[in-house]
Amino acid sequence: MNQATPTREEVLISQLKNRFPEAVKEGKVDRARYVTLTFEKDHLLEIAEFMRNEMVFDHVKGIAGVDYPAHKKIEVLYFIGSFSKAEIEDLVVVLKTELPRETAVIASVTSIWPSSHFFERETFEMFGVKFEGHPDMRKLLTLDNWEGPPPMLKDVKFPEIGQR
Amino acid sequence: MMTQTPTPNITYNKTDEPSTLDVSVGPQHPGSGHVRLLMRVDGDYIVSIDPDIGYVHRGCEKIAEYRTAVSSIPHLERPCIIDAIHLNWAYVLPIEELQGVVVPPRGNYICTIAAEMNRIMSHLYWLAINAGVFSGHTTIFMWAFGDRDLFIELAEWLTGARLTYSFIPPGGPRRDLPFGFEERLTKLLDYFERRLVEYDRIFFRNPLVIARAKGVGILKREDAIKLGVTGPVLRGSGVKYDVRKLEPYGAYQELEFEIPSYEEGDSYARFLVRFEEMKQSIHIIRQALKKMPKGPIARKAPLIIPEGEAIGRVESSRGELMYMVQGDNSDKPYRVKIMNGSFRNLIAMPALIRNVHIADMPIIYGSLDYWPVEADR
Repeated sequence: MNQATPTREEVLISQLKNRFPEAVKEGKVDRARYVTLTFEKDHLLEIAEFMRNEMVFDHVKGIAGVDYPAHKKIEVLYFIGSFSKAEIEDLVVVLKTELPRETAVIASVTSIWPSSHFFERETFEMFGVKFEGHPDMRKLLTLDNWEGPPPMLKDVKFPEIGQR
Repeated sequence: MMTQTPTPNITYNKTDEPSTLDVSVGPQHPGSGHVRLLMRVDGDYIVSIDPDIGYVHRGCEKIAEYRTAVSSIPHLERPCIIDAIHLNWAYVLPIEELQGVVVPPRGNYICTIAAEMNRIMSHLYWLAINAGVFSGHTTIFMWAFGDRDLFIELAEWLTGARLTYSFIPPGGPRRDLPFGFEERLTKLLDYFERRLVEYDRIFFRNPLVIARAKGVGILKREDAIKLGVTGPVLRGSGVKYDVRKLEPYGAYQELEFEIPSYEEGDSYARFLVRFEEMKQSIHIIRQALKKMPKGPIARKAPLIIPEGEAIGRVESSRGELMYMVQGDNSDKPYRVKIMNGSFRNLIAMPALIRNVHIADMPIIYGSLDYWPVEADR
């Protein structure tokens, strides 16, 4: 059996797993340069701080919410990348966590990654996820006179769009 | 679900500071789409701005959940019609990845040529409107728009549409290059290269343009990294970051090109990055035309999206563009998330448009090449 040297992606996963054994639940590499880590939501700020300070992941490329009404959960995905460390600048790390659908609350990472500012506002508006500690949690995209549940939730239907 | 009476909660002329005044700029079309900037001014100085976006929000991500994967392409490339190939491509890449479809080499080359033509067209639009009109330079507006139309004509010949092409379904591009396309494109590139020299003389080395853009709206390297801006805005601040090099898609692996970047971080540096990128695009298209292999252009792709999650990353004209697509073994995506350059560069606006003259605002706004429709989706 030849022992293959671990790839950068595997090293990254094991580094985070060793550092946060109870927080990081699962890490997988779907393809080269794309790492997905599932973690407990309460440990978000510790992981984010570690990733920024020790691993030099310095910006957020995006934040996506995904609604799973059947499982009564909303997943929040943070797409993290690095501009300043040449060895890892092509990687995209996805931090994935799940929140209960009724009380979707998570800490804001704007103090660690200011680039998440508008993405958190968007996710708040579209999925009703509250980001605690965000400096400016206002609506962003929908009209001022929009009233109703967050529009991207799966049970909010828009029949006028029509199936095609 | 919508109440009949809109209730805007903005009061004009009432601020805590007696000497300041709140002015609403927009939401009329400032050249690229509807956006409003709420400015707080003190005399001729802008104290702060609050970008109020969403005037052209169409719920693209929600609509995509109602449409089959292929019939979503036309509306998912609409957010940035002048950069449609890149939006189309970034949406198709994750679907192909989930389906396990590999595009034949010739298909990749055709997509790359179309994408680089689109980058030139998009930068010419920027040069005409966001750089030319916003700085009061009418000649460059006429010139750039005129030359852009030559590229549009070729794109129409290739794809069948002037701006919104829907050229790349999963599996590869829809059409091969028409007969005689290569000669006409080569001729156009020769002409355009000569024109770029004239652009340089009349606009980029124009003392008036330099006086208005140089040293205005400086985004330092560490701030650019902190704010997570992308594309020419990032490269104008001295960070050489380009997805075409870092994660080569299409045929970029086999093509040589440079990443133009400038250390200054001011509006003029961002102008120059786009100018140099047009030269690089010419270089890329010429190589691609030479190296293009023969063979099939596309493979058949299934209609369903298998279960899983994938992202497509491309370097669009406004920076790194990512589409995340989640499939659930049906013909409709479970979730599509768009993360684009305009939305990421939005954060640079309140950071840069502060403590500057009102007259500098259009220059800084134009140098960011912000496309409101792309940001609002």
